[in-house]
Amino acid sequence: MKFLHTADWQIGMKASHVGEAGKRVRDQRIETIHSVIDVAQENQVEFILVAGDTFEDNGVDRILVQKIADILAKSKTPIYIIPGNHDPLVPGSVWDHPVWKSTENVSILREESPIDIPGGTLFPCPILEKHSGKNPTLWIPDTGEGIRIGLAHGTVEGIPTDEPEYPISRDAAAQTDLDYLALGHWHSFASYPGSNGAVHMAYSGTHEPTKFGERDSGNVLIVEISNPGAAPIVTPVPTGKFQWDILACELREAGNLLQFREEIEAIENPEATLIDLRISGIIPAEEYAEIERIQQIVSSRFLFGHVDFTNVRPSPEDESWVANLPAGIIRETGGKLQELANPDYIGDRPEGASPEVASRALIELYALISEVA
Amino acid sequence: MILHSISVSGWRCHIDPLNVGPFQEGLNVLHGPNATGKSTLFEALLRGLLDGHRVSGKEIEAIRPWGRSLAPNVIVEFSHEETDYRITKRFLDKSSSKLERKENGRYVALAEGGDADDRVRNILSRSVPGRGLAKQEHWGIAQVLWAPQGELDFGALSGNLIADIKASLGTQVTGSEGGPAEKKLDTIYSRIFTAGGKLKTGKDAPEVVRLGESLEKARERRAEALAQQQQFEEASRRVEDLRARRQQAKLDAAELQKEINATRTKAEDFRNLLSEKEKLDAKYKAAEAQYNGLKDRIGQIKSARKEIKEAQELLQKLAEDIPLYDQERESHDKEVTDSKSDLEDIRKDREKVDESLAAADEARDFTENHKALERLSTQLEKVTELQEQLSGFRKERTELVAPATKDLRAIQKATKERDEARIRIDAALITLEIVPEEAGSLEVISGEETGTKSLQPGKATKIKGSPEVVAELTGVARLRASGPPGSIDDHRKEFSQASKQLQKLTQSFGTDDPVELEALADKAENLNKQIDGIEQQLSAFLSEQTPDELEQEKNKIEASQAKLIKKHSEWKKKFPDSAKLRSHAQEANRSFVSKVEEAEARWEKAQAALNAVDIKGAGLEAQIDGTGKQMKSTETRLAELESDGKTDEVMDTELSELAIGWDAAKGNLKETETKLAGFGDNPVDIVEKLEIQLQAADDSTGKALEAENIEQGRLENLSTQGTYTNLANIEEKIAALEDQFKAEDLKVNAIRLLHDILSQCHAETLSAVIGPVEAAATRTMQRITGERLGQLKLGESMEPDVVIPGVSGVPVALNSGLSGGEREQIHLATRLALADLLAKEERQLVVLDDVLAATDAGRLARVMTILEEAAQRLQILILTCHPERYRGLDGANFIDLETVKVVSDDV
Repeated sequence: MKFLHTADWQIGMKASHVGEAGKRVRDQRIETIHSVIDVAQENQVEFILVAGDTFEDNGVDRILVQKIADILAKSKTPIYIIPGNHDPLVPGSVWDHPVWKSTENVSILREESPIDIPGGTLFPCPILEKHSGKNPTLWIPDTGEGIRIGLAHGTVEGIPTDEPEYPISRDAAAQTDLDYLALGHWHSFASYPGSNGAVHMAYSGTHEPTKFGERDSGNVLIVEISNPGAAPIVTPVPTGKFQWDILACELREAGNLLQFREEIEAIENPEATLIDLRISGIIPAEEYAEIERIQQIVSSRFLFGHVDFTNVRPSPEDESWVANLPAGIIRETGGKLQELANPDYIGDRPEGASPEVASRALIELYALISEVA
Repeated sequence: MILHSISVSGWRCHIDPLNVGPFQEGLNVLHGPNATGKSTLFEALLRGLLDGHRVSGKEIEAIRPWGRSLAPNVIVEFSHEETDYRITKRFLDKSSSKLERKENGRYVALAEGGDADDRVRNILSRSVPGRGLAKQEHWGIAQVLWAPQGELDFGALSGNLIADIKASLGTQVTGSEGGPAEKKLDTIYSRIFTAGGKLKTGKDAPEVVRLGESLEKARERRAEALAQQQQFEEASRRVEDLRARRQQAKLDAAELQKEINATRTKAEDFRNLLSEKEKLDAKYKAAEAQYNGLKDRIGQIKSARKEIKEAQELLQKLAEDIPLYDQERESHDKEVTDSKSDLEDIRKDREKVDESLAAADEARDFTENHKALERLSTQLEKVTELQEQLSGFRKERTELVAPATKDLRAIQKATKERDEARIRIDAALITLEIVPEEAGSLEVISGEETGTKSLQPGKATKIKGSPEVVAELTGVARLRASGPPGSIDDHRKEFSQASKQLQKLTQSFGTDDPVELEALADKAENLNKQIDGIEQQLSAFLSEQTPDELEQEKNKIEASQAKLIKKHSEWKKKFPDSAKLRSHAQEANRSFVSKVEEAEARWEKAQAALNAVDIKGAGLEAQIDGTGKQMKSTETRLAELESDGKTDEVMDTELSELAIGWDAAKGNLKETETKLAGFGDNPVDIVEKLEIQLQAADDSTGKALEAENIEQGRLENLSTQGTYTNLANIEEKIAALEDQFKAEDLKVNAIRLLHDILSQCHAETLSAVIGPVEAAATRTMQRITGERLGQLKLGESMEPDVVIPGVSGVPVALNSGLSGGEREQIHLATRLALADLLAKEERQLVVLDDVLAATDAGRLARVMTILEEAAQRLQILILTCHPERYRGLDGANFIDLETVKVVSDDV
């Protein structure tokens, strides 16, 4: 038996953390479904399992539902889908859409009832409400012919979360005597080897990364099981297109920012990359202009970029440009701003004069002087 | 800026071209009489340097000479930053402006039109007027340096004066390189913030404000989208709830139907048992009736037999009692006869007792009659006496005619009216009194009494009359006395009426003397009182009886007494002792009564005993009779009961059989009842109730389905709107806007902070500048006024604020406690101090247009010394109509405007 395990497509997902790039991110999640189907075909799998959260919410635009159904309908491989906690099977859910009645190769598994699949039995665990503390796999009986596959959506013990939704024990596959338990909910790939070292349950993770800092996401799993009781061969296959990179740079000496800018410029395929630049440290006056350049590069070349200069401070030792300012109130102003830009400054601060604002004011002063000069 | 010359034409009184100058770099005094156009030249200087050449309006029209179609022209030659310039302006008709710069000894055009205006204006001011003329607030540093006629006072200054001065000073304190940066920052700041430091709004609003507004709107849309998403989720939950409710209702209905089916079977069994129970109950009751009927019959037979036996025994006993009864009756009958005979014997004494009692009563009557006769005789005698007295008084009173009290009051009133009328007559009469020295006679011709009257020597003779008295002393004179015509006739008429009334009232009394009349009235009153007293006494004696009635009563008693004496003749001789007689009679009566009562009691007791025996006898007979009849009746009944001929044994056997049958029926019935009790509540009723519940459950299911369909429709409507997608879109937009806003906000706050810090540094620096200005102004002031005023302090806007006299150390405001001259001198001192400051980089022109009018000659001399010193650093132009006051100025360039005009005219 060979099948493709995927989950958490989160179609229609809100991507407010990437601002106006959100639409591109959403569209790509749909686009990547084609890749998933292609991977299934390339690997000649017998069926595809989607372990919940196909949609981000039951309130997504119905056009999206239609669009996804149309894409899936074109798949030559049968697809089994269970509702997840983001798209639970409740009144008004995306699964009420009439399109699902006409997509013959797509089965929306609405009940806890065994399904015959090529070479075995599938035990679906559909989610019927958004929040629950119930283990969705408990119902799985020890009956069923051939290779026993479970399809569930929930939180495996040990995953850090505030309040575990649909908790699933780490040895759920063993407890329910499943050959493989296909899981959804966790966006990163994660497998749970049994006592013999064989992986009988795993999270495939989302097919396309959803945010910065997400580990091992953007894959599907090709699962191969030769016979009941055999160790599954689980192979992650990348499908995600967008790269979500967090780049940090601590400025320690002159030239650091310039170097960092060059690194950014060297990033390949920037139009499919979302970057989060976190720059901190001390910046010499002559590199103030780099800030603007980096911002321009990020906004013009990359799919999305966020640059955080909050923790960048003008160099306290670097008084050269302030000392070179015209004598009088301009120089005096520069000196005061330098004091206020120091987070350790203990004197009175005018209202709103945070170190961040003062640093920026200093940069503005520098720009002003440079301009009139 | 240094002024070299000024030329005007077509400007108010200066119709023809007038060229004034050249001015020297130090002191200049332009003088001329009033109305020669000194202040007009000052005005031309201001407009030439500060006004746009295209200005229009009434104010600029007023410059045009009266009644002429001339365009005002002004040419000012000046130098600034060591370069000579010439500005030529023409206002109103074909207005123009041209700025020339001296290059290689000749003026070369530098700018024209508005550009020329701006270039020149910027030398003095940063503040540009709108479309109109330059107001004082647009003069820039000229507001300090140039004092218009009579306006040395800083109080008239306004607008951007301080800003301009600070800007001018700021250039010095900022340094030549810092100035442009500060100006640039000001430009950036003013693009973002208002003068009050607030973010601009409207079409000039900066990006951060626009972003903020967009963000606000986006947040509002987000709230709407969120509400819609919540509605969607709510609707989903409601549909789920309704679906569950409908399912539950269906389950409930199915459960009910199941229960109804089971209960219906039970109900059928129950009905069958009920029917059986009714039959068994009927059987049971029939067996019970049969058993009870036979048992009752047996009991009746036994009872009848027993009754007959008892009656026979009773009759036998009664027959034995009859002789005893006869003996008892005879004994009681004799007792009755004896006691009755005793009673009759005792009753024979009744007549004697009654007679003694009657004699006692008559003796009592006799005694009482006697006493009554005595009382009546005395009473009648007194009545007769009083009646005689009353008759006498009544007669006297009848004969006395006296006025009643009412009459008396009327008489008194009439008397008073008459007397008053008389007095008024006397008062109205003219009295002529003659006291002759010799005896003679007098002939009264007119008066109350006419005729001749004899006169006695020394004795007064009075003659009265009205309206005049005329008398003639024969041979001596005719005397005539008269008074004012009066109303004596009226008085006489009143007198006559009063007299007649009095006479009418008193006629019946025989006198009209009030005293007599009062005496008569008193006498009548006394008689009335005596009559009343006797009548009261008489009434008391009669006690509401008439004398005749008293007499009749007396006669009646006397007749009764005669009758008693006739019966008891001894009472005539000896008065009877009625009490003793009464006592004896009563004693005899009590004894008699006691005996009678005892005898009667004995008789009644005997009679009662006899009656009791008679009743007993009657009862005995009735009992014998009744018992006999009853026995017969019972015998008849017994015969009927035994008419079927069954023996007692037969009947007992039948009774036992019936008892067994009854017990069997009772057992069957109880068994059926136990079965019925086993059903608990009536299953038939339960079926009915369950059917009602089923109907309600069906209704509930229908309603739940209906509600579910409605909610489902709403849910579908919401789901087609893509509520989450809408929310996601707007939240993404908000996130993008927030990022932009944050970046822009940081930038704006940075600009604000930079500006504020720079302003603060500027202010601190300026504060350091004001100190020297104050010191210089104080020095100049003290040189003019002496040290009395102490220190001069400037306000935040550098205007003279207070002086602090050294004596008190208490600040004194300029407008309180200082003379007009002192205020004038203080403002001059301040202007010169500021002018010194402004002239640090370049010599500046100071214009004083007739401004020291309130300064006395002594202080003016000191002022001139100070002006001479100031002229080393400043160009000073004094406009005055009193050149003699400034003659003492050393090295001053005096320009006589009249002379200049003459020269110009000649030219």
